[in-house]
Amino acid sequence: MKTESTLIRVGLAIYLLMFFTYLLGPLILMGITAFNSASFPQVTPWEVLTFEWFHVLFNDKRILNGLKNSFIVGFFTVILSVAIGLAGALMLTQIWPRIRATYYTIIIAPILIPGVVLGISTLVFWDRINVMLGFSDDSFLHNGIFLTVLGHSTFISSYCMLVFVARLQRYDVGLTEAALDLGATHVQAFRKIQLPFLMPAVGSAAVLAFLASFENYNTTTFTFQKYPTLTIELAQKVRYGINPSISALAFIIVCLTVFFALVHEVRTRRAQLAIANGAPVGAVKGGFEMPKFFAGNPAAAVLALFIAGAVATIAISQVYDPEPAKAILLKEKRAEQKKRIEALQERLRAKRLQKQFKGPDIFGSGQSKVPQPPSKTPFGNVFDPGNLGGTDPNAKPKDAKTPESPGKGTFGDVFNPGSLETTTGTGDDKQ
Amino acid sequence: MNKGFMQEYFRRNGQFMGWGLLIAVGFWVIVLIILPQISMLDFSFRNHLPPPEMGGPKDVYTLKNYQYLIFGAENNPEAYNRVDLMVFVRTLIAATCVTILDLVLCYPIAYYLGQSKGGGFLRILVLLLIIPYWINEILRAFAFRIIFGDSGVINEFLLLFGIIDTPFDFIRENVALYAGLGYAYILLMIFPIYNVIESLDRNQIEAARDMGASWTMIHRRVVIPYAKPGISSGCTMVFMLSAGALAAPQILGGPSSLWFTQLIYQWFNSGGNWPQGSAYAVVLLVVCIIIVLTVMRLFKVNMGDIGK
Repeated sequence: MKTESTLIRVGLAIYLLMFFTYLLGPLILMGITAFNSASFPQVTPWEVLTFEWFHVLFNDKRILNGLKNSFIVGFFTVILSVAIGLAGALMLTQIWPRIRATYYTIIIAPILIPGVVLGISTLVFWDRINVMLGFSDDSFLHNGIFLTVLGHSTFISSYCMLVFVARLQRYDVGLTEAALDLGATHVQAFRKIQLPFLMPAVGSAAVLAFLASFENYNTTTFTFQKYPTLTIELAQKVRYGINPSISALAFIIVCLTVFFALVHEVRTRRAQLAIANGAPVGAVKGGFEMPKFFAGNPAAAVLALFIAGAVATIAISQVYDPEPAKAILLKEKRAEQKKRIEALQERLRAKRLQKQFKGPDIFGSGQSKVPQPPSKTPFGNVFDPGNLGGTDPNAKPKDAKTPESPGKGTFGDVFNPGSLETTTGTGDDKQ
Repeated sequence: MNKGFMQEYFRRNGQFMGWGLLIAVGFWVIVLIILPQISMLDFSFRNHLPPPEMGGPKDVYTLKNYQYLIFGAENNPEAYNRVDLMVFVRTLIAATCVTILDLVLCYPIAYYLGQSKGGGFLRILVLLLIIPYWINEILRAFAFRIIFGDSGVINEFLLLFGIIDTPFDFIRENVALYAGLGYAYILLMIFPIYNVIESLDRNQIEAARDMGASWTMIHRRVVIPYAKPGISSGCTMVFMLSAGALAAPQILGGPSSLWFTQLIYQWFNSGGNWPQGSAYAVVLLVVCIIIVLTVMRLFKVNMGDIGK
């Protein structure tokens, strides 16, 4: 019995470890690639620690524009969905019992309807309305922000509704009734009694709505028209050429998420501790009790570490200069490149000799394998691609692969995953 | 609706609040949910016309768009539109696989979280679960592309240890797609199951154990029947979302395997044939709903359990 429980325990530990590796591993690796100077996001081979991708990111106009649109859409979506979600939840508590189930099915359905379907139906519906009213194509009904906000609100309202329903279950209707009995109007009773009670739910619904709107892709991709949001821009970047500046963005987003999650955790935990210790919540909100506070609150310790790490990273990024290391790497690469070219030349030469000796000399093929010093060969200028190609037709395909054509590889071409080699070629050329 | 109810409703909410609620809910239910779906359905039965001809004599109802999905273009030599139908079936099968994968992966952790006594460690675990969920969908797919690419971490690792000689094309084999899709919806599977298992009285498990039930028996006879609403709710959400996913297939999908949503996307964007795209969207929606309702009927679960 005891061995069995140990077995289960070990199994559980391994399972938990694997599960969280699957969950967090991709994000950590993606974060690491943001600091690798290779122009394709990769962890191995590691080149040089660099912060240049953050500069590339902050100077990307399309990303910044997408961010702006995302914030606009998010803002309006939050207002609309929180209001609608609240109304939907209040309605659910007092709707005629017979249609309650139907009503619930209808308002929960948008969560289950595929996002593409929501986007399409929103687009088609408002397009129809537009045609019916005889407006032109650029009326506000065709505006990307208008359509995106409506498309998002359709299903985000359902999320908000669920948040409010959970909170309303603990609300005592007697409070509103008491207020009404004491002479408050309905609006007053709502504003002074019910709304303050619902305030935490309003906060979490708003955060939820904003995040859901911010990260949505499926619906937005049909409705954005001329206002691409950040997600749309990201998707296009990822689909048509990967570049570590996206990793840099992901790194920032992951850090912000972790930061806010930890702050939230620390605050709830602190309130809990305070209540457990019998202190009023307000009493602990001010001071920062160090040791005790950390002891009962692992999240706080993690948060402190996290902030320290962030500060250290920023400080390093200000001081650290990747250029010397990069130069060394470039040199190494160039040396390797040279070696590769020489090896290639060697092979070509061997082939050519083989060809020459074929027929008349039966031992020639054996001889040609012996490497010969380059000065002896008549093809001294092997670096000229045209020269090689002209003399030996066999060399042509291989020649195309060698990174000797500097015209193509400019440093601007970093988006091209294959530009690694060509970049070095340019470096060669510059010297 | 009966009059007594409306009177009661306005007595409870007052004129202003009552109308405000009605308008907000009416706007949501009618203008945002029902009318767009109806108009999409309507649109899917129409001819593909340039805007000036809309409402003209050619604007009549037709089954053409649905016929195209099943039988293909008119000059199609084959009896059925094999390409599109295959994509559709493959999408549904793949979505089912992703759902099962997630269920197998998430049930143990949901059980563990639901049955453990709480405390700091548990809270950190829950936090770690939530964090990936707030990362952008595109970025999550992007992370998987970095990992599974030709020069990705996994390939480099396998090459280093000599398990393989040439990089394995995870993207072409759709391994990356399944991993990415499963990853995206883990949380939606865990939380419904967790919520149900959390409310399961631990004494029931103790009692079963005392009476000699084995570990598997406890799960089969006690925990799983109790957690059924949570399991089916999680499965429903994961299935619907992965069948309707667009970003992950676009980024992680192999060149030879399309997702049905990608066909819809093509009709709308590069194809420019909206009615055809609407018809495809309607088919996707209706078939998904039918599958979900059938499964829910089979497992005897109500719609009301969803979203708990």
